[in-house]
Amino acid sequence: MFLNLLFLMSAFLTVGSAVLVLTTKNIMHSCVFLLGSLIGVAGLYATLDADFVAATQIMVYVGGVVILMLFAVMLTGGKDFISKAQNLLGLIPTMGNKWSYSIGILVSLVFVFTNIQLLSRLGTMSTLKNNGSFGSSIREIGHLFVKDHILAFELSSVLLLGALVGAAIIARPHRHQGHDHD
Amino acid sequence: MEYTIGSVAPIFLAPFTAFVINAFVGKKLPRQGDWLSVLAIFISFLFSFRIFMDFVGGSFATDYYIHKVFTWFDLSSGNQNFKVEMGIYIDQMTSIMLLMVTGVATMIHLFSTWYMHDDVRYGKFFVYLSLFTSGMLGLVLSDNLLSLFIFWEIMGFCSYSLIGFYYEKEKAGDASIKAFMTTRVGDVFLLLGMVAIWQVVGNVSFVDIYAAIAEGKFAGQQVLGISLATFTAFCVFMGTIGKSAQFPLQVWLPDAMMGPTPCSALIHAATMVAAGVYLSLRMYPLMVAGDLTHFIALIGAITAFGAATIALVQTDLKAVLAFSTISQLGYMVMGVGVGSYNAAFMHVITHAVFKACLFLSAGSIIHSVHEQEMPKLGGLRKKLPFTFIAMMACTLAIAGVPFFAGFVSKDRILGDALYWGLFSGQSKVWAIVPILGFAGAFLTAFYMFRMMFLIFFGQPRDKHLYDHCHQEHIGFNSNIPLLILTVFTLGFWYAGSLTGQNIVKVFGAKTEWFKILVEAPKVEKFINHPREEFGFVDTRLKTDLPVAVYEHQSGFVGVNPENEHGLHSAHVIGAIASIFIALSGIFLAYLMYVKRSVKPLAESFRGYTTTLQNRYYFDNFYVGRVIQKGLIPFNRFLSWLDSGVYDRYAVDGWASVNRFLFRISKWFDDVIVDSIGVDGTGVAVNLMNLILRIVQSGKIQFYFVVLIVTLAGYVWTFKF
Amino acid sequence: MISLASYLVISMILFAIGITVMIARKNIVAILLGIELILNAAALNFVAYSKFVTQNLDGHVFSLFIIVIAAAEAAVGLAIVIRFFQLKETIHIDEATQLRN
Repeated sequence: MFLNLLFLMSAFLTVGSAVLVLTTKNIMHSCVFLLGSLIGVAGLYATLDADFVAATQIMVYVGGVVILMLFAVMLTGGKDFISKAQNLLGLIPTMGNKWSYSIGILVSLVFVFTNIQLLSRLGTMSTLKNNGSFGSSIREIGHLFVKDHILAFELSSVLLLGALVGAAIIARPHRHQGHDHD
Repeated sequence: MEYTIGSVAPIFLAPFTAFVINAFVGKKLPRQGDWLSVLAIFISFLFSFRIFMDFVGGSFATDYYIHKVFTWFDLSSGNQNFKVEMGIYIDQMTSIMLLMVTGVATMIHLFSTWYMHDDVRYGKFFVYLSLFTSGMLGLVLSDNLLSLFIFWEIMGFCSYSLIGFYYEKEKAGDASIKAFMTTRVGDVFLLLGMVAIWQVVGNVSFVDIYAAIAEGKFAGQQVLGISLATFTAFCVFMGTIGKSAQFPLQVWLPDAMMGPTPCSALIHAATMVAAGVYLSLRMYPLMVAGDLTHFIALIGAITAFGAATIALVQTDLKAVLAFSTISQLGYMVMGVGVGSYNAAFMHVITHAVFKACLFLSAGSIIHSVHEQEMPKLGGLRKKLPFTFIAMMACTLAIAGVPFFAGFVSKDRILGDALYWGLFSGQSKVWAIVPILGFAGAFLTAFYMFRMMFLIFFGQPRDKHLYDHCHQEHIGFNSNIPLLILTVFTLGFWYAGSLTGQNIVKVFGAKTEWFKILVEAPKVEKFINHPREEFGFVDTRLKTDLPVAVYEHQSGFVGVNPENEHGLHSAHVIGAIASIFIALSGIFLAYLMYVKRSVKPLAESFRGYTTTLQNRYYFDNFYVGRVIQKGLIPFNRFLSWLDSGVYDRYAVDGWASVNRFLFRISKWFDDVIVDSIGVDGTGVAVNLMNLILRIVQSGKIQFYFVVLIVTLAGYVWTFKF
Repeated sequence: MISLASYLVISMILFAIGITVMIARKNIVAILLGIELILNAAALNFVAYSKFVTQNLDGHVFSLFIIVIAAAEAAVGLAIVIRFFQLKETIHIDEATQLRN
């Protein structure tokens, strides 16, 4: 019962916040709604007995990525901070227009139909056995990291380092102002 | 008896630790941390000396070796085997090489404290020296090609940094890039060879490679139409060609003299270039299995002779030494090729000692006179007496005068080459190899004494320079290293007999240690060798181990060594010819440059001299043909492919297709809507216009739309 | 009631919304938000399959890698956004046309 409740709340939070991300005018609010959506996904992980992934999701996304996004929004706010002149149903948010929205929805509908086409074949698979929980998965995940997935683990550390250095280099202001305008 | 990690690792780790400390806090240390580097290399020297004494002192049999490994990382899963092991491999050759590298490097470190003392980047120089030395020691200790390659590249980097040490000078920067890029050509091949070996053996450890050769794993496999063993051996030998500056890739070494002189002594004379020869010696069974020895001998002979001719006309003191280095390396490679394994390795050692000493003497001259153009020097004998003694001894050694080290090793190579080319019953075409070798030996004696006479004899040609030169005084870090090295240019350290071929015995059999201890690896003994983890302690007592037997061994592993008589007569002829050739070369130089009774040849062969001065136009060829005519047009072709074809037809073409569609729809709009006036159609056309405009925009999001739709299309089409 | 299909449907909806955000909005930061949604949908699928189908923890490991990659991508993406803003004084995606010629 509790599981069902958690699932329903999380699913609602996830989907609802995602829709709000899509439709809010203010990009700042969009970021905050993304936060809600990500917490919802963390709740879904919890219903799947993935405690470690859920914790990581909250720590990395909620603690890191979204904060980063908010900083980026604030740093680049300027004149684009809140939506420009809008028309359609008062629903059109920042820097989008009805055409971009209609194409976006069209494409996502294409995707949804495709996905349904694929999933319909799963039919009988969808109610598979749900036999018990793993208990705490941290120990096994740790073992997997240093055994089966050691290469990916090492590579991801290299990737993080590269991203760190790359981000620092890209965001660094150029010393010679005036040369960098093309 | 226990060679644990504590007794071997310091050889490599001491200079490396010095490098790390100096690199980070060197500037804060007193004297910018030079004492740390010198101390570190001296510690390595002591540990190496212990190993050397164990091996040469008769504790082990000649074919005893220590091979210990530890697993670096193991990515094996399922039936995929990807396990990388590091380890050490010490045999007689390693122990001798270690002693040579650490000994010579200690002297050079000591000398550098004097030579570089007023340089602005004094501390940085020792950082590079330490890193370089640790790289070389790691290379020598390596038990597999992978770690050898890692250290090989570390040395490549150090050589790049040290050649470009005076990076304010544009030529130094160019030379460093040239050295780096040229050796890269060889390295790529070496890497390819390693991949091929990995494919066959599943490992790149030396002992596993030997075992695989003994088991014949290389036999019968083909790649690109040639046998796999030949291909692999060629690739590995290309590494030697790049690193040891052999014939097609020799262009970098002369330019490498832009660096400070001590680093020239360490890197481009004594140790780094020797690493290439060391690699071919280690991989000698592979070269034999690949049937590549004739090619190697030919390359060596061409290099030995060609570089000697170029050295004839150089006026820069260091350039002469640089070309003589290339020439001597040619002799070593020739020795590998003709099967004179032992003598080639002996020449590596003797050459390292006397060439390091020669470069240090050159450094001493340059530091005193501040001039390295030989025509401006002269008569320095009285001003620089100790340098003169050291340089004279080394010149005698390199020229191949009896009783000196160079004679012992070079004569043995030449004697074996003579046997290989003329007496061993193979095609007489290969006689070209010993002929080029002897001709090169003559030229070597000539140009080295030309250099000596120009610098130290006669009257000073530039009075101003001469007067400015200070009288030399003995000093522990200026002349002493030179004189210590000079002692080891004497022949009896390396061979008991006069020629090293047991022809005129002077000392007992025990003094022939070099010839007896170093031998080509016998691959059969490595089959099913035990794999010893690090930390393994050899519980056998010292007395239980087989002991080296000091009695006559040939040391010659080339074709048909059973022909004892032919071998012996070739050695006698070779020895006599060597002595005669060396003395006549010296005599000719004496006539030309001291007596002046023979005119230098430069006037009568002007065209040829110009060719030599331009170093056979190799640089012009590489820059003018290979790079300008080859690589740059290739680059242009690629950029044309990108901008001309891809942009014009793929990107712009797409745009014009869209524009065309747009025009059609406009026409549709004009004709159908305006003339017929159906509003519904007008709306449809508007929509189409709109879509087309979005298509045409080339925006990032549009690509995303295309991506999703295409993926969906795939799914619908193929029903995954 | 909770079955694999329910998670897949949620993930699908999340993915579709992510696509829409990426396509519809012209703000670069918003596009990055869309990418985050898409990556989350993928990670959710991994965990769901690992729970219901493969019954081991490989899916968890993969979703952790996805989180790592998302973090790296966000860092680099936002650095690019900030640099772009310094150059163009706007973060409208249609201004990003430097690579066109």
